[in-house]
Amino acid sequence: MSTHLVVRDLAVSFNGFMAVNGLDLTINKGELRCLIGPNGAGKTTCLDLICGKVKPTAGSVVFDGKHLETLEEYMIARSGVGRKFQVPSVFRELTVRQNLEVAYCRKPGVWTNLMRGPQNDDTAGLEDLCGFVDLIDQMEAPAAYLSHGQTQWLEIALLMAQNAELILMDEPTAGMTVQETRKTAEIFNRLKGRHTLIVVEHDMGFVKEIGDSISVMHQGKLLAEGSVRDIETNPLVREAYLGSGGFGHA
Amino acid sequence: MSKPPQSPLRQRATGFWQPELIGIVILIAAMYLMPSVLVDDFLISKYSRYLVFGLLAMALSLSWGYGGILNLGQALPFGLGSYCMAMALKLRTIPVQTGADGLPDFMVWNNVQQLPWFWVPFYSMTFAIVAGIVVPSALMGGLGWFMFRGRVTGVFVAITTLAMLVVVNLLIIDQQQYTGGFNGITDLAQLTIGGIVFDAYNRTTFYLIASVASVVLVFGYVLSCTKFGLILQAIRDQEGRVQYFGYDVASYKITVMAISAAIAGLAGMLYTIVMEFASPTFLNVPLSLSVVIWCAVGGRGSLPGAFVGAVLVTGMQGALSESKTFLDTWTLVMGVLFVLVVLFLPSGLAGLIGQLLAKIRPGDGHGQNGTVDVKSSHPKEIA
Repeated sequence: MSTHLVVRDLAVSFNGFMAVNGLDLTINKGELRCLIGPNGAGKTTCLDLICGKVKPTAGSVVFDGKHLETLEEYMIARSGVGRKFQVPSVFRELTVRQNLEVAYCRKPGVWTNLMRGPQNDDTAGLEDLCGFVDLIDQMEAPAAYLSHGQTQWLEIALLMAQNAELILMDEPTAGMTVQETRKTAEIFNRLKGRHTLIVVEHDMGFVKEIGDSISVMHQGKLLAEGSVRDIETNPLVREAYLGSGGFGHA
Repeated sequence: MSKPPQSPLRQRATGFWQPELIGIVILIAAMYLMPSVLVDDFLISKYSRYLVFGLLAMALSLSWGYGGILNLGQALPFGLGSYCMAMALKLRTIPVQTGADGLPDFMVWNNVQQLPWFWVPFYSMTFAIVAGIVVPSALMGGLGWFMFRGRVTGVFVAITTLAMLVVVNLLIIDQQQYTGGFNGITDLAQLTIGGIVFDAYNRTTFYLIASVASVVLVFGYVLSCTKFGLILQAIRDQEGRVQYFGYDVASYKITVMAISAAIAGLAGMLYTIVMEFASPTFLNVPLSLSVVIWCAVGGRGSLPGAFVGAVLVTGMQGALSESKTFLDTWTLVMGVLFVLVVLFLPSGLAGLIGQLLAKIRPGDGHGQNGTVDVKSSHPKEIA
């Protein structure tokens, strides 16, 4: 397996506070990597840094041999990075179908889209996607009418429509019922191999179900990396979560 | 969740005959029928003016209703278009007013010796018409470039556009020797194209304006139906999200701003033809803010809605201010009306019609654009 994403010495400072401080991360093509860590460990910031929402103060993000750290957000997205946000962010005034059509962006330029109808060449594909995440009956409903879990799925479907090579997921199961979480795990297992995924998650049951390998972050750094079993038995991780060290430790 | 196989929400609602398009067709028919109802030439001229305002409001609806850009300087491209037309028409009066080798009369009064370089190309009417569209469009596009590349959003866009309007307005008033200053450019020739004279108090002018308005309404509708239009609505909804799908949000916003300004410039040219002069009041703050009100009343999310909103509001203003009963209180009446609309019809008259349609045809859920009222307390920002 070839490496797909390489993060080296990544750091960002928010007015002196180092949210991410010297993070190293290497992810292979087609891998599903879970990123866990206690609150404030810098997981979301790490995703923000990769997708360009936050610009790093130091370090590099190399995706497919291409440096991302200085690019604009839309250029990073065009290089094949998709992002799902923690608060599900879909276009609430648009219908589910329209949401997917926006996400399906093989040609993002202004002039091409001025000359095109809103429907793309792959309508059947979008309907399949809707079927995949159980939204086929809501296709013409505004996204605002969806339940929380459905909104989460819609955003996952948007990333699939976008067909990003690297998908960054921030707490995809937050607020989901047990059944919904199981269904989400199923979706993720299907995405594995076709896309490279980084999933930030708190739900260890979910992580066990989908994760090949886990990276644990703590205080802006990588604390441990390995299989589910390795992580569960790692004393450092245990300490970080239980917080026995207190300030200045680790 | 087992639903019947043909749930209404599953049926595609994006057929050709959208309420929006039906509205436009009715509007166009009404415009062409108007002269047979209005017998008085004075009334015809008055309604020509209202239609021009409709066009101006529709232009704002494109950038505000679709793109979410609240442009408070919409009168700026309008005024520039109007000056372009006035300059060309003024040059045609020279032989009559100041002799064959003369200058426009106000320049003579200001001791200008030679026609300024930027006036010279306006001898050509073709140039003037092109300039009346391109100059406003380029100016607003350029302003958009600075704002949107610099990631200026929300209320700051409103302030910047308003400030730009004031600057240009003051500049025009200040440069009296070239622009006619406070008086504007008055005493114009009538536009003549291919032997047809467009007199302001004449049906030909009305039909010219109605035809331009029809074409632009259809153009706007087609634009809103393209993928570009869809992406604009996505930008209005969740600006921050769109860029993570690979769209360069700034260039979309710059483009819609330029298109909106081009339409406003076109409306400005027509306004000069109807009013028979151009004046700094065509690009002043009160007019610019009025456009926003027209849009809000008609429904900013709907192109024919905004158009009708402008015609209704300006029509009512005209009627009230001329009636004896409301001579002193008409501004108050209008104010109360605006407050009521903003309070009870957040998506304007078009939204009201959309809701009524949804009641008549309960199967077809969601009415037209902008009628889906989802301004709930749901967090919109990206965490």
